[in-house]
Amino acid sequence: MGPLVPQEIIGADWNLFIAFVIGIGFGFVLEQAGFSSSRKLAGLFYGYDTVVLKVFFTGAITAMLGLLFFSLFGWIDLSLIYVNPTFIWSAITGGVIMGAGFIIGGFCPGTSVCAAAIGKIDAMVFIGGILLGIFFFAEGFSFMKDFYMAGAYGPLKVSDFFGISGGVMALLVIIAALVMFKLGELAEKKWPREEY
Amino acid sequence: MIEEIITSGRMNPEIDPVLHVWGWEIPFYLFLGGLAAGILIFSAYFTLRGRQDELPIAVKWMPLSVPFLIGIGLISLLLDLSHILYAWQLFTNIRWESPMSWGAWTLLIITPLSIAWIAIWMEDIFPKWDWKFDEVKTVVKWLKEQRRILAQILILLSIILGMYTGILLSAFNARPFWNTSILGPLFLTSGLSASAALIAYFSKTELEKRLFTRIDIILIGIELFMIVHLFMGHLAGTQVHIQAAQMFLGGAYTVPFWTFVVGLGLLLPVSLELLELKHKFIPAIVPVVLIIAGNLALRFIVVSAGQASRWLY
Amino acid sequence: MKTKYMNPYLAGVLLGLVLLMAFFFSGRGLGASGAVKSVVVTAVDIVAPGHTANSDYYGKYVGEGKSPMKSWLVFEMIGVMVGGFLSGALSGRLKWRVEHFPGITANRRLVFAAAGGILFGFGSQLGRGCTSGSALTGMASLSVAGFVSMMAIFGTAFALAYLLRKNWI
Repeated sequence: MGPLVPQEIIGADWNLFIAFVIGIGFGFVLEQAGFSSSRKLAGLFYGYDTVVLKVFFTGAITAMLGLLFFSLFGWIDLSLIYVNPTFIWSAITGGVIMGAGFIIGGFCPGTSVCAAAIGKIDAMVFIGGILLGIFFFAEGFSFMKDFYMAGAYGPLKVSDFFGISGGVMALLVIIAALVMFKLGELAEKKWPREEY
Repeated sequence: MIEEIITSGRMNPEIDPVLHVWGWEIPFYLFLGGLAAGILIFSAYFTLRGRQDELPIAVKWMPLSVPFLIGIGLISLLLDLSHILYAWQLFTNIRWESPMSWGAWTLLIITPLSIAWIAIWMEDIFPKWDWKFDEVKTVVKWLKEQRRILAQILILLSIILGMYTGILLSAFNARPFWNTSILGPLFLTSGLSASAALIAYFSKTELEKRLFTRIDIILIGIELFMIVHLFMGHLAGTQVHIQAAQMFLGGAYTVPFWTFVVGLGLLLPVSLELLELKHKFIPAIVPVVLIIAGNLALRFIVVSAGQASRWLY
Repeated sequence: MKTKYMNPYLAGVLLGLVLLMAFFFSGRGLGASGAVKSVVVTAVDIVAPGHTANSDYYGKYVGEGKSPMKSWLVFEMIGVMVGGFLSGALSGRLKWRVEHFPGITANRRLVFAAAGGILFGFGSQLGRGCTSGSALTGMASLSVAGFVSMMAIFGTAFALAYLLRKNWI
């Protein structure tokens, strides 16, 4: 059955409208969870507020299990789902730069747009920064192209990499997440803070 | 000399298979016409209900904008005409069957009437206003006595004006997407909704703001209902109409229409207005800007899609 | 602890369901930086069309019949603004302000926000997606890239947290 648009069960022209509706849900949940506040986001790295950890991992696990069960019931064809390809060196370096940007700027792109929508000026400045950062990358792309393409593994899945089934992998992620949730709760008790 | 015999408009590449005639001028003019009609209807209606002192923005202030709206509308209309110098010929005859003629005549009458309507309220909104000449004072006094009659005529003419902005399109038989009688009421409602939103934005009192917010919510509800019926009507029609509707239900106009007109132009502002009535804080400018942008988008898309919809043979 | 925000686990489940719907309908996950990239490409294309056409990077997105703004992520991000605004309206959080730790000035916050944005923008292009596009979506689809991005982003942020503690605590 699914995914509906790639299989042309829903016409391709609806795709962008679906994106709009899904975006509304995305933005609404992010804002309700408190991701529109840079102080809440940064709280994870100082232990006073671990909401990022909880929401992020619960979200990833819910969708992961959803995909696995949908596939089990024959509702979705996993081979048609886009899996982002792995280019190991650029992924690590890019991630490190993004991590620095996260702790310095207090947002990531999605949360900054969400925060800008409710009037946070720091988020708008952050978005301005993203625009510049992307522009710098695009202009300097020819110097980085080789590095950008190095270490290509294609759309590699973790489960295939370790040679285990998707279900076992999901179970491991859930166990890891539960441990982290527990640590998060402990951290919040150790470094309490007032609501802002 | 090569002689060309034109037997049908379809020989014109500008007309067949798709129309390339109308740019931004026409939809912009339709929008301004609808807005002017909406403002006059509210002003005249609440005068008849005797609420002019309770609702000063709607009744007394907003009509000030009408001559300007009509003026800008006419300028953009004239920009669109290829033979501007012959435009006056529209007024040399009355053709009952032509919506162009209806529109031109309605505008010709409504413009001076709207100025008379403003004159009635001038002393109310500018307490120091002085008409200076006794003749003028006599005329304004006479107009004030005729206020109820004038209001009734204005409502009637404004409804015609608001409807005509849509009928103008539906009378265009060669374009299946416009071939629906619902365009007239739809454009009228959408013009009313834009003016209600503007009144709510400018209003100073809680009473006026809430009243027009509530009116706007109802109007948007009606608009959504009509949009659904617009498509149901087309889908129940002939193959050309079904194809015209398909442009919006999976074709090229799907995304702009459902995202920008229905999503951002109707559903989002109506949700914000509902939140406003529940005393949630919403920056007042947001719903009105969304509604006006949605209003413009509706007319641009309907005009553009109508030109693209075509007969099959 | 009392909070004016939604329970994080409930929010997480809802976030997961939104992501699942994206997979189910469109066969792809969520994202954010891709939409900003479309804006950059469009802007550069308007200012210097010849430059974009010849560029290795921009060249993929411009050209005959291609419009970078007609992309899934752009429409998704328009939706994010709408959803965020609605949520803020519902919870009474619509307000112009620079949010910052009381121990620093607003200007310092803005300077750091700009610097962080530049880094994040640059990194998101090198890493082929940001926290939403690469890490969250990638983890849900069990992609190696997703797990690597997630660990690199959060690991670095933790590692640098001590250096930047004056900004936050």
